[in-house]
Amino acid sequence: MALERKGSRLSVLAVLAVTALVILRLAAAVPQEVRSSVAAAFQVRTRAGNIDKKPLRYIKDPNPAWSSIAVNADNNMVVMTDENLFRVVEYSRLDNTPPTARFTEPKRFIGGDQTRMEMLCGAYIDPKTLDVYVTNNDTQDWMPVFSKNAKGNVAPDRLLATPHRAWGITADETRQELYMTVQFPSAVIVYRKSAADNDAPLRTLEGDATELADPHGIALDVKNDLMIITNHGHRRFYGGAAVSTITETWEQWIGKTSGAGELNSLPRQYLPGLGKFEMPSINIYARSASGNTPPVRVIKGPKTQLNWPSHVAVDEGRGEIFVANDADDSILIFRTSDSGDVAPTRVIQGPKTRVKNPTGLSLDIKNGELWVANMGNFAATVFPITANGDVAPLRVIRGGPANQVALMIGNPGAVGYDSKRQQILVPN
Amino acid sequence: MHDIRYNAVDDEILVPNPFSNAILTFRGGANGQEAPVRIIQGPNTELNGPDRLDIDVVHREIFVPGRGNVLVFPLDANGDVRPKRAVRGPDTQIAGSSIAVDPLNNMFAVTGRDRSILVFDRLANGNVKPLHVIRGPNTQIDRINQMAIYPAGKLLVVAMPGVQGAMEPPRVFVGMWSLDDDGDIAPKWTITGKQTGLKKPFAVALNPDHKELYVTDMRLNGVMTFAVPEIFQPVAPAPVPANRH
Repeated sequence: MALERKGSRLSVLAVLAVTALVILRLAAAVPQEVRSSVAAAFQVRTRAGNIDKKPLRYIKDPNPAWSSIAVNADNNMVVMTDENLFRVVEYSRLDNTPPTARFTEPKRFIGGDQTRMEMLCGAYIDPKTLDVYVTNNDTQDWMPVFSKNAKGNVAPDRLLATPHRAWGITADETRQELYMTVQFPSAVIVYRKSAADNDAPLRTLEGDATELADPHGIALDVKNDLMIITNHGHRRFYGGAAVSTITETWEQWIGKTSGAGELNSLPRQYLPGLGKFEMPSINIYARSASGNTPPVRVIKGPKTQLNWPSHVAVDEGRGEIFVANDADDSILIFRTSDSGDVAPTRVIQGPKTRVKNPTGLSLDIKNGELWVANMGNFAATVFPITANGDVAPLRVIRGGPANQVALMIGNPGAVGYDSKRQQILVPN
Repeated sequence: MHDIRYNAVDDEILVPNPFSNAILTFRGGANGQEAPVRIIQGPNTELNGPDRLDIDVVHREIFVPGRGNVLVFPLDANGDVRPKRAVRGPDTQIAGSSIAVDPLNNMFAVTGRDRSILVFDRLANGNVKPLHVIRGPNTQIDRINQMAIYPAGKLLVVAMPGVQGAMEPPRVFVGMWSLDDDGDIAPKWTITGKQTGLKKPFAVALNPDHKELYVTDMRLNGVMTFAVPEIFQPVAPAPVPANRH
């Protein structure tokens, strides 16, 4: 099943027959912002010549792809990460895009080559300072932190070197600890909340017994002292606790770097391991779990409807887990006490919901609202926290046009050509 | 996923899955949440985080670069199968993050240590030296992502996204070398500059029929098509030795 889901992100784009939406013929030019930023291109040396010409065709979505969302109700603050245009965007909690409007103008955005943000996946708002913490995934190995006043193409106020492929992020404000998931090799890594530059993690959860399998979302249930992790199901077995060998001490490793900008991953070499495709899951651990520790409960199986479960949130008062179920265009709600192959207690799904490839999710307990960031239609949709079924959202904040499907091209690391169908193949 | 290849003979699509240590083959017309028709996965495969691959539809083989090796599987392999050949050892100099195969001229190109491109005989096996090593300051190589080969022109086309970790590295280009090139040699052709709009080219694919080159750019999250008839210049193929199979 995990395998089948992988195909859902395989964007097959027809060269000769796609819609006007997906092809922007560059008869005029490459966009101005692109041209200006490459004006200082280096002088390449060749033997036969350099080809500096406009592309014949250019497939590009000009709209945002919301990958995560964080809400601070006390300040009416909504922050979303945009994985397409590499931006952090802030809206008012009470914004509501009129149906006829093309999009809602954000209060501020942070983006550009100084920000150290690229493939943004997760966001966290510090409830006191309103600093915004952001995880990069496959292309940048650090977590930038921006103050509430940061705007435009600015350097982060703080940087923390993180393992390659960090994804989800949350914090324990009581203990001042920062939690992140790492997609591969599967791990949960915990830092001091104030960690910066080369600071070492406080603890790491990894190994065969953890049953971590391509972890994504992470949430804390402080009331019950639990940690909740969503997994896509890509698993490696390493034969025990070790997933890596330490190649040098932290001190040796840190001594080799001269600044946060040069940091990359951890001083480890990963073992080959045995790969397996498993069902997606929600793994529940003791909050302080570390090392090769098994989960206390696992929600997993065909009844769960889990399908690329992404960001996750917990309502401690209601005893519920909310999951953005990306590949199924749904929001699933489970009980925090659930275990095994159980059906969700509620499912928010259907055409009225406007939930389309939801990856981001956040709860506003104060106002009793559920926020969903949809990668598939440029929209944040707001529901009552008790919503169920095919229900219309209370409010919608759109960053792009209504009734238009997003291309969802993200980190296109490869391209192929299907000569039979004359189609370009773009995996993400 | 960091690679994808279309098999025009069998109408199939192949992709690597590094997280689950697998090579997946789908129907050419696969759509939606469709299961693969074959999976290469298991301890006998020796796969270790396969990130890229290429296929040789003439000799029906899959080439998978690994951490210091190149593993070769039958094109129709399925399950926990052993590689039929493995190029590895200190003499190979393989770093192994990207690969492209030329079934016409019986060669394959793979990334090597110290920012190099290594060219091997297609049937290389074991701890063997490369036929050619393209390495040095004149190559202007910082990092190599996906590669493709135009066999009729004996031309290797390489996506160069610049220094790892840089937001918008200055030295980015699509570079092209002859498979006969050797040493510290500048690329034959490059695609880069103000008009192209390229910021961080991650991948390349060729369409010789329409004389087009497809480039994905990570920094733009976009796909560009360049009309480049000048690079599709056939050269006389090398004679095929009688003992080839």
